[in-house]
Amino acid sequence: MTKRTHSERALCPILTRPGLRIGLAATSGLGLLSAAMPASAELTRAGVVINNTATASFDDPTGTTTTVQSNTVSLRVDELLDVAVASANSGDVATRPAVQGEVLTFRVTNAGNGEENFRLTANGAVGGNGFTPAIVRIAIDSDGDGLYDPARDVAYVAGTNDPLIAPESSVTVFVIANIPAGLSDAARAAISLQAQAVTGTGPAGTTFAGRGTGGGDAITGATTADRTASGFLRVSAASVEVIKSATVADQYGGTAPVPGATITYKLVARTTGSGSLANLRLGDAIPDGTSYVAESLDLDGVRLTDAADSDAGSFAANKVTATLGTVPGGAQRVLTFKVKIN
Amino acid sequence: MKIFPVAIIALSLAGAAQAAPTVELSSKIQVEKQLVVNGKQQTVLRDPKPVFPGDRLVITISYRNATGKPVNDFVVNNPVPSAVQFTGEASPGVQVSIDGGRSFGPLSTLKVRKADGTIRAAQPVDVTHLRWVLAGAMAPGATGSLSFRGVVR
Repeated sequence: MTKRTHSERALCPILTRPGLRIGLAATSGLGLLSAAMPASAELTRAGVVINNTATASFDDPTGTTTTVQSNTVSLRVDELLDVAVASANSGDVATRPAVQGEVLTFRVTNAGNGEENFRLTANGAVGGNGFTPAIVRIAIDSDGDGLYDPARDVAYVAGTNDPLIAPESSVTVFVIANIPAGLSDAARAAISLQAQAVTGTGPAGTTFAGRGTGGGDAITGATTADRTASGFLRVSAASVEVIKSATVADQYGGTAPVPGATITYKLVARTTGSGSLANLRLGDAIPDGTSYVAESLDLDGVRLTDAADSDAGSFAANKVTATLGTVPGGAQRVLTFKVKIN
Repeated sequence: MKIFPVAIIALSLAGAAQAAPTVELSSKIQVEKQLVVNGKQQTVLRDPKPVFPGDRLVITISYRNATGKPVNDFVVNNPVPSAVQFTGEASPGVQVSIDGGRSFGPLSTLKVRKADGTIRAAQPVDVTHLRWVLAGAMAPGATGSLSFRGVVR
């Protein structure tokens, strides 16, 4: 709705009293305007008193103007209980199996017109979940930065520190959960957060006499003063599969595994999944009865030195190793090395 | 659909027995509620105790010429309480002000200059005052009422 702003001002005085007489019998379109006029976005605060006074002026037969005032009708505006909850994460929060302390972020808004405490409940056992996150705690963002800070954002205890939210204001709420182990890639789960007005909840129009902000009544609005929203976790896991093969080349031009023949080993590592694998290393021991052929280590066709240096490869303690770092799902690395049969 | 009665109704105000030589003016506010009675949705007017944001109000101003003489230039002025938003519905003949009562006119003729300098047509939400100017003389003893609708912001 349009809000009345002081920066806007009326233009052009159109009529001055009583220059234009408008007869009461005149037809006016005003009565036919739509009756659907929602309240302004800014709610009148609970406890405000609406006063209405009319004035009238008239001229008596001698031409003397008299002004009269009506009685003043006063109405107190009482507390409307309404709440909104929304996930503050931009989409699914990526997580991994067995992560401790994953954080989902929500906004809880007091959509009513009085200061109100709200009871919070988090639930990880939501229908349709691919797994059940274990709720560890709920915490309120104490400094308003929207980021969970375990040292400052104290744990919420229902009935003890139900957040007090000013009308038409919000707080950020964190739900901290542990992720079960052994989950497959792309498993998805919701965590719901419910917020309920401490004064009371119920179908729109439920009245709590004398319990509103400012000592008046409180009444539930369209949200029933009880709302729930979900945030989502998605597991991002990856796995690796290694296939090893060998080819033999003897010194006579054939493929017989005789002493002096060279065996080329090939390790093909394939990763799958939407996550990535950290510190992935690919290595192999030199088989008994063979000797490693110095400087024969290749990664994806590029020669790696045997020394433990800046490149990914090394040969030490009769083992070859390639340090691959973080490898995303869907990648392939090929490591080859040569040995000679003793 | 005519919701409002014709503005001047020749009724005598109950209990207005005192003979103060003036035009008596009284105002009242009622809340419109939608109720289902015998399966039919009905709009009923109630005297409110507290009200809540979004409540629809009907504000009625009643008058009676108790001067014993005809009066002229009878003008009723009702500022819209700041917590109430005018809906645009009022007894016929209403003139509105969007500048705190300095100037009046039919809503459709009023314009608002926005912060960026452009001009838009005035809306009911802009209205700060309502005024009715009764044409001609009002006879001794004549009564009437004027009303408008508002919503608690």
